[in-house]
Amino acid sequence: MNTILQATDIHKSFGRGEARNHVLRGLNLQVRRGEFLAVMGPSGCGKSTLLHILGLMDQPDRGEVMLDGETFSRAAARPQRLRFLREKIGFVFQRFNLIGVLSGRDNVRMSLHVRGRRDDEHVEALLDQMGVSAVAHRKPGELSIGEQQRIAVARALAHRPGIVLADEPTGNLDTDNGLALLDLLRRINRRDAQTIVMITHSAEASDRADRVLRMRDGIIKAE
Amino acid sequence: MVYLPLANIWHHKLRSLLCALGVGISICMLVALTGLARGSLFENADRWESVGADLIVFPRGWADKIANRGVGLSEKYAKLLREKHGDLVERAAGVFCWPMKVAGQDHVVAGVAPEQWDMISGGKAIKEGRLFDPENRFAKWLDDRLLSPATDDRAVEITEADLRDPEHDGLELVIDTRLAAAAGLGVGDTLHAANHDWTIVGLAPTGVMTRIFMPLRTAQFLFGDGDVTKCTMILVKLRDGVDAGPAARTLRDALKLDVIPPKAYRVTLQEHFSIMLNYVDMVNIIALIIAFLFVMNTLYTMVLERKREIAILRSCGASGWFILRQVLGESMILAAAGVVIGVAMSFGASALIGRLKPLLTPELSFHWMLIAAGAAVLGAILSALYPAWRATRINMAEVLVYE
Ligand SMILES: Nc1ncnc2c1ncn2[C@@H]1O[C@H](COP(=O)(O)OP(=O)(O)O)[C@@H](O)[C@H]1O
Ligand SMILES: [Mg+2]
Repeated sequence: MNTILQATDIHKSFGRGEARNHVLRGLNLQVRRGEFLAVMGPSGCGKSTLLHILGLMDQPDRGEVMLDGETFSRAAARPQRLRFLREKIGFVFQRFNLIGVLSGRDNVRMSLHVRGRRDDEHVEALLDQMGVSAVAHRKPGELSIGEQQRIAVARALAHRPGIVLADEPTGNLDTDNGLALLDLLRRINRRDAQTIVMITHSAEASDRADRVLRMRDGIIKAE
Repeated sequence: MVYLPLANIWHHKLRSLLCALGVGISICMLVALTGLARGSLFENADRWESVGADLIVFPRGWADKIANRGVGLSEKYAKLLREKHGDLVERAAGVFCWPMKVAGQDHVVAGVAPEQWDMISGGKAIKEGRLFDPENRFAKWLDDRLLSPATDDRAVEITEADLRDPEHDGLELVIDTRLAAAAGLGVGDTLHAANHDWTIVGLAPTGVMTRIFMPLRTAQFLFGDGDVTKCTMILVKLRDGVDAGPAARTLRDALKLDVIPPKAYRVTLQEHFSIMLNYVDMVNIIALIIAFLFVMNTLYTMVLERKREIAILRSCGASGWFILRQVLGESMILAAAGVVIGVAMSFGASALIGRLKPLLTPELSFHWMLIAAGAAVLGAILSALYPAWRATRINMAEVLVYE
């Protein structure tokens, strides 16, 4: 099996002493190259925390993440992580995290700029696919939640990352728009063989996935 | 092109403007203040250097004073210089200096013989009107009465009316165009100063030795303690090809007087006012430090506010260098805007000073503008470094999830 992403014995807790919150408790996970994986679980169970660790934005207290042949533990060097963030990972945050002073369009362009690239045509095509080209000149503060979410997805896809990590990408869309976005992700996943790990609450979303994993008590429940 | 620093500056218009203004004001202070101090001081030296003389002869011990005036040495030295040192000296002319208050400010009046005007003025012609007493009639009249042997045993009385006698009017003045403009005086006007009523007969171009000229004998007679044969200094023009340095030494040794080139006056001025210039520089340094702190504080709060934005850049894999460039870029743009504002403001300030105080000379030197711009850019870099470094330390997961 061609594994692009593997998490081994991941532990993560927040706080200290009495307030210590042991969120991930020895979690194991494997994702195949080209797979469209959905992760479900009750709110507060650590799905976002897991996704940040898988996306190299946070470090586990213990355990390691193997991504595209390289291993990242707590001690992994920052330049190595940043290089992966630039080249291999596309991330959709649960709270979008768009840059407020830039227009929607420039947010997408900026993510390419950071990566030393520029491809306005591709950016336009993506915005169009997301159905936001008409409003992309506005700043995030002037966009609806759903529009912001779609800009955030466009930003995560702009540099054609090998693996896309999406934290509830349809959480703020109505059913139709949510389904459209899911279909788009599915298409991209098929066409470009991009691996997608998506956190979701909705059954429709998990229906589109190749595989659904359920989280509980800081680990993945047996399938 | 997406350029985040510009987007941020544009988004926070008021703060950016205030920040650039803070830099601009301190640059204006630096440029205008040094310009004013040095300009007004050295305008004086420039004027002395415009004189068509190679050396100035002072009484012994006077050369390093800055405001020489009154009776100093006998006019006979001028004759002596011409006759005994004719191999070196082409011309020598006595000048009598005295202070005079005009238009609310003290000026040095130079009493000069009319036939020496071309040397005194460095070859500049009278711009309007004529030179005072061009035929030197007053000197002749006075010399007849005071210096001829026949008058030796008589007390001579000279009245105000004698001075003003149209046959040999001694109360004529030439002023420079700048003083004329500042005091609102023109040819034909009467000016009351130093207890006499003077007639302005001509305007000299700005940049000549001093702002007010009168006939040498008049100055000597009125201000010379009753001795009309003494002057304050002697201006010497050397023969072609004579080296000023060795000639000055020769003349100094022969006459036992101070002999210096007009250029030395600048050095004397500089030494004399070095404390004031130091003080101006101190004020400027303080202004710059305040500007730095101001920019630093602005950038620092800006970076703190922008934690999230920087974390987002990080999540796209932005290197420390990339983040540094964003913060640095913003501060450089603000500094550059500050330089533009500051230079514009210093031109404005100098124009204003020129209108309110026409006799002050703010000299906006390109040199100081460059120094100010350099200081601003350097300050912008230095004050951006710490916030930028802090920016690269941001923990992206924490910021992106919880803020
Ligand atoms: N940076 C953090 N600091 C403190 N507690 C955190 C932090 N991130 C997550 N948590 C806590 O960890 C738990 C899991 O959070 P999260 O991963 O966001 O859950 P989910 O995405 O499954 O809803 C929650 O109790 C949350 O309060
Ligand atoms: Mg979550």
